[in-house]
Amino acid sequence: MSTALSLHRSRKRKNGVMMALCVVAAGIGLAWLALILGALIYKGLSGVSLAVFTQMTPPPGDAGGLLNAIYGSIVMTIIGIVVGTPIGVLAGTYMAEYGRFSRLTTIVRFINDILLSAPSIIVGLFVYELLVRPMGHFSAIAGAVALSILVIPVVVRTTEDMLNLVPNALREAGTAIGAPRWVVIRSVAYRAAMSGIVTGILLAIARISGETAPLLFTALNNQFWSSNLNAPMASLPVTIFQFALSPYEEWQQLAWTGALIITLTVLGLSIFARSLTGRREDR
Amino acid sequence: MKPMLSTDLNVADTTVEKAKIEVKNLNFYYGQSKALKDINLSLPERSVTAFIGPSGCGKSTLLRVLNRIYELYPKQTAEGQVLLDGKNILDRSQDLNLLRTKIGMVFQKPTPFPMSIYENIAFGVRLYEKISKAEMDSRVESALKRAALWNEVKDKLNASGQSLSGGQQQRLCIARTVAVKPEVILLDEPASALDPLSTAKIEELIDELQADYTIVIVTHNMQQAARVSRQTAFMYLGELVEFDRTEKIFTSPREKRTQDYITGRFG
Repeated sequence: MSTALSLHRSRKRKNGVMMALCVVAAGIGLAWLALILGALIYKGLSGVSLAVFTQMTPPPGDAGGLLNAIYGSIVMTIIGIVVGTPIGVLAGTYMAEYGRFSRLTTIVRFINDILLSAPSIIVGLFVYELLVRPMGHFSAIAGAVALSILVIPVVVRTTEDMLNLVPNALREAGTAIGAPRWVVIRSVAYRAAMSGIVTGILLAIARISGETAPLLFTALNNQFWSSNLNAPMASLPVTIFQFALSPYEEWQQLAWTGALIITLTVLGLSIFARSLTGRREDR
Repeated sequence: MKPMLSTDLNVADTTVEKAKIEVKNLNFYYGQSKALKDINLSLPERSVTAFIGPSGCGKSTLLRVLNRIYELYPKQTAEGQVLLDGKNILDRSQDLNLLRTKIGMVFQKPTPFPMSIYENIAFGVRLYEKISKAEMDSRVESALKRAALWNEVKDKLNASGQSLSGGQQQRLCIARTVAVKPEVILLDEPASALDPLSTAKIEELIDELQADYTIVIVTHNMQQAARVSRQTAFMYLGELVEFDRTEKIFTSPREKRTQDYITGRFG
């Protein structure tokens, strides 16, 4: 009896120690996030004004905004998503549905995982060689292509994973009622995996909207308003990069504000993505 | 004397009734391993046939050959003949989707599609028929009535099929199968995941459905086979050991292995 009791006490003590360690570790992780967010809000929020969203990036020493950079980021992100998502979803569909048992799928998955963790600067250099050099100049198109290359592996991965989570029993049920393969995929598998696939796309948006390296070699930057896709285009990450490194105070302030805008956008997208998956798990 | 008489009866039974499905010299392989060995049997029209046997005996495999659903997976092959109204469905020229509209299937776990109750039923109908909204409404209603589910769901046809209870989901799956007007319904342990009350409802339903459909049910539950079926096939290690009228199988089986199984000596 007493040994059982002491055993119980020592286990409780060990449990307490382990739990404390885990809480501290989690706390350290969260603390950095809180510090970053805090610093961004502290330094960036003071610079948020209507001008940021209505004026162009200024020359050194002048007041201005980030309109052209925000516009460029949105345009290139949208093109990147519009180009990359269908390719990613279709490839993921092939891997999870048509080619589930094929060797090609194993190979594609392996290569896709490499692409997923490839440094984005390499993608930037690749597109530089592929488009910028032959075209002879930097352009928004090249930037968007670089971003779409980053989108594809993220979407392929989530699409395949989410479709693999759809129980085979559901596919069999669709097939057993006489539905052709593509109808089963479209009306049953996609529907069951929809929130997961959308989450993957949102995460891809979150990922590319903060990418700097692939744009540095492709879209470069532009001090002025430009909606010409065949010309260099400003973007928030590259502008932040350039302004933050500059000695000018106005530029540095704009860099903080831009960083805050990106962070809040990505945070918002992530929370939205979370709420989508969360809702699915509730069901 | 008596055994002779009952054998005569059996012969009379099988010759009078028209065979809906005839399985001839069927062999089935998972890769290299042979899962069904030279199966021969004939399933009479508009009647319930049960496949019983211990796990791994091939009863589900045999069922899955009848609508060729096994073809979803690689390395599964069937040899021999399965005649549906005299036509070999294992023939390469057989259109699989059309075959499956004729031979419906209900699975062990309820599998409602991720859509509304109404759409769950309309989905299958819409695949091969173009009908008006009003016709579809009445089609959905009659299918749900057929599956004894109408009263429970008539006020929430737009609710998700997945929001129903397990027993209701299974009846929804039966309704969905019935709605496409098949000739044969395959049931793969349709009640094994359900509580006794839902099971009783499903069994009642099977009893009613046999007036219009040829039904094949795979079951682990021997009492269930005895309750719902007219013929029973006992399978063991990929072989069809015995196939006869259900009373015969459960009261005076010819084979010792059948006897051992139904008396609970193995399985």
